[in-house]
Amino acid sequence: MQVLEVQHLQKTYRSSRKHLTTAVRDVSFAIAQQEVLAFLGPNGAGKTTTIKMIAGLILPDRGEVKINGLNPHREAQALRSLGAVLEGNRNLYWRLTPIENLEYFGVLRGLSQKVARQRGRDLLERFELSHKRRAPVQTLSRGMQQKLAIAVALIHEPQLLLLDEPTLGLDVEATQTVKRLIREIASEGRAILLTTHQLDIAEELSDRVAIINQGAIVAEESTEELIRRFSGSAYVVELEQEIDRDRVSKIQNLGAIVNEKTILIRETEILYEVLHILQPLPLIRVEKEQANLTEVFLQLIQNQSESPC
Amino acid sequence: MLKLFLAEVKRSWIQFIRYPAEAIGGIFIISALFYGLFLGATYVAGPSIKLGDRLDSIIVGYMLWTLVTFVLFDIAGTLQNEAQTGTLEQLFISPFGAPRVFLTRAIANLMIQFILITTILLIIMSLTGRWLSFPPTLILPLIAVILGAYGLSFAIGSLALLLKRIQQLLGIFQFALLFLLTVPTETWTGSSKVLGLLLPMTTGAGLLRDVMARQQPLNLPQLGLAWLNGGIYFGLGLTLFRFAERETKRRGRLGGY
Ligand SMILES: Nc1ncnc2c1ncn2[C@@H]1O[C@H](COP(=O)(O)OP(=O)(O)O)[C@@H](O)[C@H]1O
Ligand SMILES: [Mg+2]
Repeated sequence: MQVLEVQHLQKTYRSSRKHLTTAVRDVSFAIAQQEVLAFLGPNGAGKTTTIKMIAGLILPDRGEVKINGLNPHREAQALRSLGAVLEGNRNLYWRLTPIENLEYFGVLRGLSQKVARQRGRDLLERFELSHKRRAPVQTLSRGMQQKLAIAVALIHEPQLLLLDEPTLGLDVEATQTVKRLIREIASEGRAILLTTHQLDIAEELSDRVAIINQGAIVAEESTEELIRRFSGSAYVVELEQEIDRDRVSKIQNLGAIVNEKTILIRETEILYEVLHILQPLPLIRVEKEQANLTEVFLQLIQNQSESPC
Repeated sequence: MLKLFLAEVKRSWIQFIRYPAEAIGGIFIISALFYGLFLGATYVAGPSIKLGDRLDSIIVGYMLWTLVTFVLFDIAGTLQNEAQTGTLEQLFISPFGAPRVFLTRAIANLMIQFILITTILLIIMSLTGRWLSFPPTLILPLIAVILGAYGLSFAIGSLALLLKRIQQLLGIFQFALLFLLTVPTETWTGSSKVLGLLLPMTTGAGLLRDVMARQQPLNLPQLGLAWLNGGIYFGLGLTLFRFAERETKRRGRLGGY
């Protein structure tokens, strides 16, 4: 069952009389329950615009958003299944305490005050903020504020959670905590759309990645598969010491590339022959070359700028 | 709806008293103003609406002025504050819809302001031993005026949404407000009388003058017209706000940018 369906979204901004910016071009994707989709792209790629169109905060020129089958631009009911933490904002009242924020936003999302308070307490407990229950938000650290903002977005138990750059501006420790929370929230069965320009975040958190560049999705598939597809079949062998000339020439004859202490083997079949030649030199590692999302990302973005649209 | 209203009252109240120095400062200013009025300094603190020369009328006029100004700039102020705090978008993704949230909040704010002023007045009255008297029917035309004021508040809020910076316009609005609340349309005749009925809030303000200054009984047909006027301006303001909301979402300029 798809929680979120986005079809052919398109948005062009008119920033001045002549100047038009097409921020989002023909973007389509879907997210199912319990799934984390990372929306990955450089600054200005159109991530925030897409998220805000989903939340009903920006009107698309074309295309459609369906949250549990409802259009947030026409049916306010759709907003009941949506929680959002938007970019760069605190999304909280600075003068109120965490519990007061949770209570207020709970009612704003349609809960009764009693339910909002109870859930607020539970969330504070879970997010390890109970000790700050009575401190004004203003006095909390940036990391705690972000945790609280996520808690507030969850107060009405929405099926879809939108997180725009959730770890932006957080220190290492807070980033770890927020990452852990996101994983937990997804495992509860919620669908999460998170945007980021940080590859490691996308790689660690997402089940699927959609890479967006200049407003268009250039790749969308499961995170693992994307990495596998871009990983070569080559092996790398690294030794403790430099290889003697005799062995180097033998190995080169087989078709492998030798560079001081490392050997790159493109044809998998010769791997054991090479190892045989190397015997009994001490090895440091034998590894299948793994692409990470960074390389995939660079490659895709590069391909795109080479072939202008 | 009621639970949202109560939540708004609570939120506003907490925000108001969280930093006691600020709250006390605000209360002190209001108290000083009204105390000044009691002592006979009728020129105190700029404009008020003259509802007669008796102290009772002066106080009621001043209170009306304070409350209507408060209502008028409430929605635009909320928009601006929320954008600064970074919570504006959260209000717009409420399933209640932005107009309802803003109206509920504006009513909650007005109620707090009203209770605050009334309490201060009661304290001053008990201190000075000078008790004001005004007819309870006053509340009826007051409702008409406040209704129109909310309509205008939505209209000014729409401008704030569309133009973002409206600081410079606020002075003009205040001037127009003074005109609308003081122009004696109840003494106009003929076609200008019709015009007077079309102006926002003036019919209600005229009724307040009748009751307060001239000690006339409430003119019921006139009251009906005042309510109709208030209702229409309220509807117009709301419609304008809905349009401005949609247009701002089209431009992608809600909140930041
Ligand atoms: N309200 C707006 N008016 C004009 N241009 C905008 C507006 N919002 C965003 N843009 C432009 O649209 C593009 C996409 O922006 P955005 O969606 O914020 O990207 P991202 O979140 O991926 O960094 C950028 O070039 C940005 O300058
Ligand atoms: Mg962004």
